[in-house]
Amino acid sequence: MNALPPLTRKLLRDLWRLRGQALAIALVMAAGVGMAVMSYGMMRSLDAARSAYYEGYNLAQVWVPLRRAPDSLARELAEVPGVAGVETRLSGAATLDLPGIAEPVLARLHSLPVRLNRAVLRSGRMPRAEHPNEVIVSEAFAKAARLAPGDRLPALVYGKRIELVLVGTAISPEHVYAVAPGQIFPDNRRFGIIWMAREPLAAALDMRDGFNEVLLRLAPGASEQDVIRRADRISAAFGPAGAYGRDLDISNRFLTSEIDQLRTMVRILPPIFLLVSAFLLNILLARLIDTEREVIGLLKAFGYRSAPIAWHYAQLALLLSLGGVALGWALGLWLGRGVTGIYLDYFAFPALTFSAGADIYLGSAAMALAAALAGAVSAVWRAQRLTPAEAMRPPAPARYSSGPLSSRLVRLLPDEPSRMILRGFFRRPLRTIASVLGLAMALALYVASASSTDNVERLIQLVFERGQRADLALSFTEPRDGRVRRELALLPGVQRAEPYRAIAAELIHGPHREREAVLGLPRGSALMRIVALDGTTIEPPPGGALISSQLARKLDIAAGDRLEVQVTEGQRQRFSLPITAVVDVPLGASLVIERGALNRLLREGDVATGAYLMTDPQQAPALFARLKQTPLVASVSVAANAVRGIRETIAESMGIVTLFNTLFAMLIVVGVTYTGARISLSERARDLASMRVLGFRKGEAGFVLVGEQALLALAALPLGLVLGMALSRYIASSFSSDMFMIPAAVSARTLAEGVLVVAVAAAATAVLVRRSADRLDLVRALKTRE
Amino acid sequence: MSERPAIYRTAGLTKSYGTGPTAVHALRGVDLTVHAGELLVLLGPSGSGKSTLLNILGGLDSATSGQAWFEDTEITALDADGLTEYRRRSIGFVFQFYNLIAALTARENVQLITDIAEDPMAPEAALALVGLEGRMDHFPAQLSGGEQQRVAIARAIAKRPQVLLCDEPTGALDSETGIRVLTALETVNREVGTTVMIITHNAVIADMADEVVHFADGAIASHTSNPRRRPPGELSW
Ligand SMILES: Nc1ncnc2c1ncn2[C@@H]1O[C@H](COP(=O)(O)OP(=O)(O)OP(=O)(O)O)[C@@H](O)[C@H]1O
Ligand SMILES: [Mg+2]
Repeated sequence: MNALPPLTRKLLRDLWRLRGQALAIALVMAAGVGMAVMSYGMMRSLDAARSAYYEGYNLAQVWVPLRRAPDSLARELAEVPGVAGVETRLSGAATLDLPGIAEPVLARLHSLPVRLNRAVLRSGRMPRAEHPNEVIVSEAFAKAARLAPGDRLPALVYGKRIELVLVGTAISPEHVYAVAPGQIFPDNRRFGIIWMAREPLAAALDMRDGFNEVLLRLAPGASEQDVIRRADRISAAFGPAGAYGRDLDISNRFLTSEIDQLRTMVRILPPIFLLVSAFLLNILLARLIDTEREVIGLLKAFGYRSAPIAWHYAQLALLLSLGGVALGWALGLWLGRGVTGIYLDYFAFPALTFSAGADIYLGSAAMALAAALAGAVSAVWRAQRLTPAEAMRPPAPARYSSGPLSSRLVRLLPDEPSRMILRGFFRRPLRTIASVLGLAMALALYVASASSTDNVERLIQLVFERGQRADLALSFTEPRDGRVRRELALLPGVQRAEPYRAIAAELIHGPHREREAVLGLPRGSALMRIVALDGTTIEPPPGGALISSQLARKLDIAAGDRLEVQVTEGQRQRFSLPITAVVDVPLGASLVIERGALNRLLREGDVATGAYLMTDPQQAPALFARLKQTPLVASVSVAANAVRGIRETIAESMGIVTLFNTLFAMLIVVGVTYTGARISLSERARDLASMRVLGFRKGEAGFVLVGEQALLALAALPLGLVLGMALSRYIASSFSSDMFMIPAAVSARTLAEGVLVVAVAAAATAVLVRRSADRLDLVRALKTRE
Repeated sequence: MSERPAIYRTAGLTKSYGTGPTAVHALRGVDLTVHAGELLVLLGPSGSGKSTLLNILGGLDSATSGQAWFEDTEITALDADGLTEYRRRSIGFVFQFYNLIAALTARENVQLITDIAEDPMAPEAALALVGLEGRMDHFPAQLSGGEQQRVAIARAIAKRPQVLLCDEPTGALDSETGIRVLTALETVNREVGTTVMIITHNAVIADMADEVVHFADGAIASHTSNPRRRPPGELSW
């Protein structure tokens, strides 16, 4: 220690003396760095795991779904320029009757892959050719439904009953995120993937010579667009003409949207933390330099040049932020590993390890150091501009002035301690504003984070409670005529049945084409209503169509325009109809017509492809038992299960995220309040000691400190709430995709909790600092000149 | 004057800092009686323990041994809260460096005290007593050193304390300004009857006192009474 130059020793002593504030600032900085490392690292890890998985197990680049096609089609597709590999397969849907599960379970069936979309065996073994009923199922499904090798799975495949035997579990790059059609959150107990040998599946699907799906791999540099266009043309005779690439593959879309969400968060959160830490560092250094004015003057009088003095203070900022960076790296690594664990619950990867890479670590450090230097620069600049004469100046009381506005305001206050506080604010307006902003951002962070649960609750309310009020939604294995309604009404517990008509189509407007289902809803439907994001209910208008705003944007169509519809199944009718309304639909249908009108356009008479049911919950077991046996039903989705699935997913993933964001928000509050109060204590030590000498009690003198922080926090509350709601809206809209729209609905409870979080953190911190005020050495505080 | 009741009594008061061979004995057994209404001047070389004594009598510091009584209260037996209450009720302080609160105007600095006192003067009256009725709405930074010190005195007397303890109140002032400050102290002593104790390095000031105590090396070297107090206006240095 003695070998160190005196300024270095002073530096270390200063850091030690200011350790509380230095730690607070370093922690805020660490939160920013950690968040950046975690988010960027996670984005990269997910992306890397995805690429490795897709390449290693040959995920297709183009899917060509068909009705039924002969082998010759595969040969033709192989000759399309740009196609490097072709694999045909059989694909279908089934419902399973599992003993422990009341509802029919939905399954996606695939014939066992050969080269493309290969599955990774996770347990058990592959099916053997000599046992045609052996299958492997997706691992998450087996876990959630408690299935083990040897279990029998009675299945209904398009009305045909077959019995499958589970021999193993697997995962596949095609189903990293496995959700039932139309769902956005996984319900692994009631939806699974099943792979089985081609022969028995062909038998079940009645497709002995042929296939109903082609997977394509592209040559490097090939144009996916071109291949899709040609594939559609070649296969037009055999199917719905709906070839699509990975961008429309549902599992891949969710993965991409997850990565996009990380990108959104990393744009918002780390900058907030780094800004706050830069501000805190700035006021800390400014105060330090203020108290050392005379020392600096003295050093200069003795011949120190300005640069080493500036460097002395800059070093403090650098040392402190190096500490913050180191803590942040550790935090980022820890968070990254934790979040990886959570991701593995939703995304089935063979391996996902968190690794951020040196550039991310160094980049986050550079960001933090830049923020620290930005915070330090003005204070350090002041230090190096001080003249030696400062040392000789007599101690002058801090300059307070009475501007017309401030003095009028201050006079309104009844007591002197309050006036001291308010004049302090007016004396340092920038610091006051920055403190309020910092606290407001903490509150905003909490509100935005905690409101994600509110938003999902609102989504549930809009979609399920006010929109889809049916208890069950059925889809039929084949179109039925309208009399099916009476049939359904006879099922146990069914109180009301509303048939709907859904049909696959290509929607055309000018040069734009989109494949979407067209949904025909009964007029005056009570069980399935379209509820817009803003909560209004919209009836499908007679003679026109409702279109979701996302789809309208893609088709570049507005209310009043006419839309061409090319049906891609059945008789492939073509018709056009006017768009009567563009609606922000949170989730579900994109193009809705009145069912009668749709049937007229299709010229097929009274036809339904599914139905919404209102049922008596008491009779649910009986109803499910019947539905499991009915060949009529291709799928059953239970609203209550969907809602539960959403809530559980959100509660699980958002719970942890919200916990961390709460801690981080508190960290900002503690950092701002602690640094602010310590600096205020240092500036006011003499005043407070004077008050104590004059007979003020500890609490009365401490009020100046605590009251000051309380007022700052109070001022931050309304701003923080407004910012929080705006941030929540921004995050909701950036998390919305063309699959769903998240409403922004911050609940009063979230706002109240945010206020509480900020208030508690600020109060606890202020009280902590007040205790140092209580320990002020009166004699010493008065003996020293300021 | 000695027929008046004693307001302070000390017996064998000592104060040491540290222990062992490096210990500093700031007070080495002080026995002193101060009577109510007196104006007492404490003189003595630097480091002789004057401030230490005043701080203990004022309830800012605690003694190492011995006792000090304020009227019937043994202040050496009070705890921190007791000392706060004692200061709040009975004592006014004036320091060399004024210790005004920079964020408050002259009037508000006084009001700061009158707000917590039981039977205070009006802040304006206290400021008038020290001749500052014209500068009441100025901030400390807008006042001269002597004016700041007179605000400090007004602040100290506004709550009508029984004792005014002044540690080098003129130490930072020129002679003319110093005399104005001393006049203010003398006025308070004479008109309000407040007991005043003044520490000073300026022997001339002793002439305005009833009692003069000389300090040396942590103990009282001499204690004399002036037959007649000279008005501060007659002093000069
Ligand atoms: N906190 C402390 N720690 C150690 N020694 C102290 C402390 N405060 C005072 N002293 C010592 O106690 C002795 C008396 O100090 P005191 O302040 O009472 O002197 P004083 O007579 O008021 O001197 P001055 O006229 O210079 O103000 C001095 O030797 C001083 O060094
Ligand atoms: Mg002294």
